[in-house]
This record gives sequence, C-alpha cells and structure tokens, in this order.
Amino acid sequence: MSEKFSPTLRIGDLSDFIAPSQACVVSLKGLKSNTKKPDKSEVSIAKKQQTEPVKISLKDCLACSGCITSAETVMLEKQSLGEFLSNIDRGKVVIVSLSPQSRGSLAVHFGISPLQVFRKLTSFFKSLGVKAVFDTSCSRDLTLIETCNEFVMRYKQNQSKDDEKSKSALPMLSSACPGWICYAEKQLGSYVLPYISSVKSPQQTIGATIKHHICQKMGLRPDEIYHVTVMPCYDKKLEAARDDFVSEVESKEESNESGIRITEVDSVLTSGEVLDLIKLKAVDFTALEDHPLDKMLTNINEEGHLYGVTGSSGGYAETVFRNAAKTLFGIEIRGPLAFKTIRNADFREVTLEVAGQVVLKFALCYGFQNLQNIVRKVKMQKCDYHFVEVMACPSGCLNGGGQIKPMPGQNPKDLLQSLETVYMENVLVADPFENPLVKSLYDEWLEEPGSQKAKRFLHTAYHPVVKSVTAQLHNW
Amino acid sequence: MDLVDGNYELREIQKLQGHTDRVWSIAWNPASGTGDIPPVFASCSGDKTVRIWEQSPSSRFWDCKAVLEETHTRTVRSCAWSPSGKLLATASFDATTAVWENIGGDFECVSTLEGHENEVKSVSWNASGSLLATCSRDKAVWIWEVMPGNEFECVSVLQGHKQDVKMVKWHPTMDILFSCSYDNTIKVWAEDGEGDWCCVQTLSEPNSGHTSTVWALSFNAEGDKMVTCSDDLTLKIWETDIGRMVSGDVRTPWTHVCTLSGYHDRTIFSVDWSREGIIASGAADDAIRFFVESKDGLVNGPTYKLLLKSEKAHDMDINSVQWGPGENRLLASASDDGTIKIWELATIS
Repeated sequence: MSEKFSPTLRIGDLSDFIAPSQACVVSLKGLKSNTKKPDKSEVSIAKKQQTEPVKISLKDCLACSGCITSAETVMLEKQSLGEFLSNIDRGKVVIVSLSPQSRGSLAVHFGISPLQVFRKLTSFFKSLGVKAVFDTSCSRDLTLIETCNEFVMRYKQNQSKDDEKSKSALPMLSSACPGWICYAEKQLGSYVLPYISSVKSPQQTIGATIKHHICQKMGLRPDEIYHVTVMPCYDKKLEAARDDFVSEVESKEESNESGIRITEVDSVLTSGEVLDLIKLKAVDFTALEDHPLDKMLTNINEEGHLYGVTGSSGGYAETVFRNAAKTLFGIEIRGPLAFKTIRNADFREVTLEVAGQVVLKFALCYGFQNLQNIVRKVKMQKCDYHFVEVMACPSGCLNGGGQIKPMPGQNPKDLLQSLETVYMENVLVADPFENPLVKSLYDEWLEEPGSQKAKRFLHTAYHPVVKSVTAQLHNW
Repeated sequence: MDLVDGNYELREIQKLQGHTDRVWSIAWNPASGTGDIPPVFASCSGDKTVRIWEQSPSSRFWDCKAVLEETHTRTVRSCAWSPSGKLLATASFDATTAVWENIGGDFECVSTLEGHENEVKSVSWNASGSLLATCSRDKAVWIWEVMPGNEFECVSVLQGHKQDVKMVKWHPTMDILFSCSYDNTIKVWAEDGEGDWCCVQTLSEPNSGHTSTVWALSFNAEGDKMVTCSDDLTLKIWETDIGRMVSGDVRTPWTHVCTLSGYHDRTIFSVDWSREGIIASGAADDAIRFFVESKDGLVNGPTYKLLLKSEKAHDMDINSVQWGPGENRLLASASDDGTIKIWELATIS
C-alpha cells in the first residue's frame, strides 16, 4: 500500500479498504524513484531515478487511472489543517458541516454524548473564528428524499417499458460512498454507472445548500464563504475535489468572462484530523462550554434533541424501502425492518411481499468483497435487487478510514461496537419527509423533490475514467 | 528399497511442440492416468492459449487434443484442474481468470472471474473443489466460492503482501491457503471461525525464510511438509504439526526444517513434491534436479540429498515441473524455449 511512496508522500498509519495497489504512475513521469529489483520479465522494470519530493493534487489523482483510490497516500495539500486555519486568518467566513459519524467517533473517544460533542465542537470552532457549525444529518434528509423520489421513478420505469434504458433503471445503487464511486468510475467503467443514483451525497448536498442558498440568507456572496466538512472518510476529500461539484457564478459587477468558481466543499477534515486540531490547540475538550447549536441547518428540535434516520451508513436502504412500500404499494411498515444476513453481517437483505410476490428486494452491501458480488451480478444482468446500499468500508461509514484509530491495545471490533451504540444515543428517529428545515428548503428554494431546481443542485453525473497510455504502459 | 539408495536416470519420453511462445505452466488432470483413463495435462503459454495434451493408450505418444484460445487476450500464466478434473481454471495477464468445462471433449469457457486490477499470476482449487484462489501483481489474493451453475462468489480479498504475488496453493487436505511473493515471504491464510479470512502466519527472513522472490511451493502427500523455491537460489523445507492442524487449530505454525543451498546457481522457478516423496525442481539454469529426504544424520533433523541432476533439460529457463498422477514417475516440464517435455524418472539397476 503506502510503503511504496516516499516518506513525504506518506501521511501516517492509515488504511483504506480499497487500497491503491500499484505504484502511482506519476513515477513514470520521472518524478519519483522506483526501487524495484529486477525480476523475470513478468513485470516492467523502472530505472532508478533521483528522488524529489512530489506533490500530487487530488485532481491528479481523480483524473488518473493508475490506481483506484489514494486520497490517503497523496499529499493532501488543499485539504489539510493548515489550509483550514489559514483561511480563517485570511478573513474568510468559515462554515463547518459536521457528519454524525464523526460526532460519534469523537463521542466515543472523549466518553461524552454525541450532542455534547456537537456543542463543544461548536464552542471550539467558534473560538477559532468559525462562523457557523452545521449538521450533515440535515442535508442527508434532503439526499434521502431525492433518493426516494429517484427510486420510485426508476421502479415505475422498469415496470412499464422493456427498452434498454428501462432495464438499466434497476437495481439502483446508492451514491453516497466516494470510495465506491471512485472504484466504479476507474475500475468498472460504463456498464455499472447508469445504475448508480444521481443524487449527491450529504456532504455535497450541504455544500450546494450553503453556497447556492443559505449564503443569501446570511447576506454573503458564495465566494466569501470557505466551507469545511468533517467526515469519517478520506475519500470524501476526493469527492469534494470533483469538477462536477464546482460551478461558475457569473459576476454581476464586471464583465469578467470566466466568472467566479464556486466549490461546494472547499476542504474536508477527517474525524482524526479534528482530534489532531484539538490536540494542536491544547484544548481540554471535555471542559469546553456546551455552546448552543446553529439551527439553520442542524437536525435539532425545539426541546434540544438531535434527530435523524437510523442506519450508521446513512440509512439509504431502510428509508427508500419504507418510502417505496408506502408510495408504490400503500403499505406502511411499522417497527424495525427484518434484514436477513446473507453471507456475512455486511451483506443483508430485506424484502416486501404483496400477495405472495416479492415486490421489493433491497440489500445492504458493505466492504470490497461483498461489493464484488453485486458488481458481478449487475454485469451479468442477474442482479435481482431493486436497491443496494453500497459502502466500500467493511461495517460501513462508522468504520471509515478517517475515524479516530483504536487506542493502543483496544480491539477494533470493540471500538466499532461502542460507535454503533453511541451513534443513535439520544438521537430521535425521524422521517426525513417531516424535517421542518428540509420542508422549508423545498418551499423557499428547491420547489419539490425531483424538480428542475433539485436536479440542478442536488444531482450529479458519473464518468468512466479512460485508461491513460501511461497506466497502460505500466500495466504491460 | 529406500528412495535415496536407488540409482536413477531421467529418460526423455517426448518433446511436445505447439505453443508459439514461452510455456509458463502445466497442470495434470488429477482424475486422469488411473484405471483406463489415459493421463491428461494442460499447458499454458505467452501465446495466450491453453493446450490440452493426452497420452494415446495404444501408441503411448502424447497428442494435443484441444487448444483453448480466443478467450484470454494476454499471456496465460497458470492453470489448475478442479479435484474432479471436470473444470479447468486459467489465470491470465489480462486480469481475468477463466473457468472451462470439459463438455464431451470440447472445452467451453463457463465463467470469467474479474476483479484483479492487473496480471493474475496463479490459480488454485481447494481439496474439495468448493473454493478457488487467485493472486495477482496487484498484491491481492482473492478467494472465490463455487456456487451451483458454474457461478462464483467472492468470499475474500486478502491484502497483506507488499509486492506481486507469484503463486497461491491450497493445502492438500485442509482449507488453508498459501501464497508466495516478490516480497520474499510466504503467507498462510485461514478462516477465523467467523467467516473472515485472515493471515495466520508469515514466513519471512527473520524466521529462516527466503531472502528474495519466492516463486513456488508444494506439499508432500501427508500435508505435514512444504517445500518452497526462490530467487535466492535455495529450496526450503517447512513442517507443521499436522495432527494439531487437522483437529482444528488453523493457526498451527509452520517451522523451518532445512535449507537446500549450493545446488542451483540461477533462480528456481518451480518445485513439485511427488506422492512418494521425490522433490523435483526446475530453474533458470535449464536443469531439472531431484531431491529426497535422507535418513542420515537424523541427529540434526532430516537432511535432503540431491538424487539426480539433469543438465540442459531444456534450451532455456524451466518455468514449471509437475509430477504426473500415475505410478510411473512421469514428470512434465515447461520452458521458455516453447516446448514441454515428458520425462520418466527410471530406476537403473
């Protein structure tokens, strides 16, 4: 994995579950030494070269077909703590959006509740000069509503016609995991992309909401805001750097031809990096004041309770399942869904039968190896699921590569168990469609689920990465 | 008579031509060569094809019965028969593994396994034929479960090697997988009881392991000993407490028994341990060597003695040596010279 990169390129003891597995092709452009020993002509041999520190941007990484994901092993210049702090110093209006998984990771680490973490982090960030701290469970409700809407459309399309496009309407594969998207674009290519939901992840949804709507309510231009998310995952940095999530806003005052480039998410910090920042500032975190939360984009009710959906990876399968049962078949499912374990705990399915017929068949599929079996079935057109919640990490997002590492001697499985327990602690289970913040976002801005505006701001597209000549050569 | 006391000569039975590029690997069909079923083996090559060879019961000559082509788009690096001999798996530099079924003498590609990022180097079936393992230059080892209807499901993707993985091989009786690599190590993989596969042991330089690429490994008939061969010009013998392993302790360690050095002066690419106990090795010096355990000097543990060396067995590097399934000490060898040779290790009195 990262051993092949020079120390300047390595950023610590990180492990991703879809690991880069061959030398970064940047080496062939003469930037990096390659220390392979000669071998029977099974592999190509690169000549030894002078080692120079190399800076690879996330954009280089996204455009390259050399390996699958390497957000963790490239120099994360644009996405580092230093960049975050310097933007505060430069007088930018800094907004932080916190993921519930990161909240959970810090809660377990400090032995306090997720709500306390949220309040104390708000205190901490504001002491650094941050303007507002929001909650991505709020934008996740937007993502979920759009996903439900897209699913119902695709399901109907699949049932009604028999052309090629309708056949590729299902299974619908979830789109929130950037590791999975990266793998699908780089390694799998065009056959799988039409199956992936076009809805943006909660990270990008909150970015679009802040830069295209909330900024106006705050009396700010989008380019005055520096928006940072806190995520359980390194690959979220790659996601934030995608060209699809940059838009140009025409400048009103001048005849500036290029306009202003607006990035939905300017920077991503992992849960672990936030802990590093807390340590760097030498703050006694648990002793910090419980600051009131910024209610504009935060799932907190009048009584001061957090709310959101269940499911520590975002609850996509569960929410879409309940909604489809109701919308398509008029069935209101009460109580927990009966997920059945298939091969292992990371591969579960749930079905809905109407008059003895299976009408909905959904799966949760976490981890690289389970993902292989879904992809294989999709390729052979033998996948009978209607919807699959796909996450690249085993155990899903709570186990993301950006979460705080187990303490020395701590069993990773025990840590994961604590995270699962803490994740929904004092969080009320709530239907995304009933979220008052989301309702008003539709009323004031997006009109209705699946509207032209919603498509423009909350949906995206995927592109197969063409294998570069360099990568091909390397693959000899 | 003890194997070590015999006098032997290596007789060339036949030289098989047909491949138009180097021959990488051979695999004998385990369900052939017994009773009235003539021996059969498969060979694979840089010419992107797989050839199936069979011995004629009347003439005793070997003929190419089938050419499996137009499926792999690059070198076919290795091949393996399922224990029943009905399926043949072929691993290719085109990043896929193909599974072929023998349907009335015609070989049909019934499944293609994708997933490795680049060159697949080796493929192996477990003893029951229910699991298939593959390895690649992408450093990963994959385990597939064989499902009804020639369907395959990925059970595990094992990351652990730091470089190109050269070979995977299942233990002859247990569901324990071995892999060897360009990172100089041999890794042992087993299921932890909760359905997760993990590395249970790494045999590397600090525990008397190899100091350069490990190219191949093979087990003795009992499955309590393993031989490995390397670019460090040595063969190493390893052993385990098979009783403890069979009783369920998959973590039973493998320990170094001895190192056979001073025999080869070029890379050893292939090693195969016969059921009766003769180790054959094939190397870049174009020679085939045979070793057996010697009872002399038992005080210091077992030693292995060179039984025979056949210089210039081929015109170029020998990539694979494999013992046949019958009783008559047949050996096939495959070489960079594009040929396969069938040999008999004969006793001379």
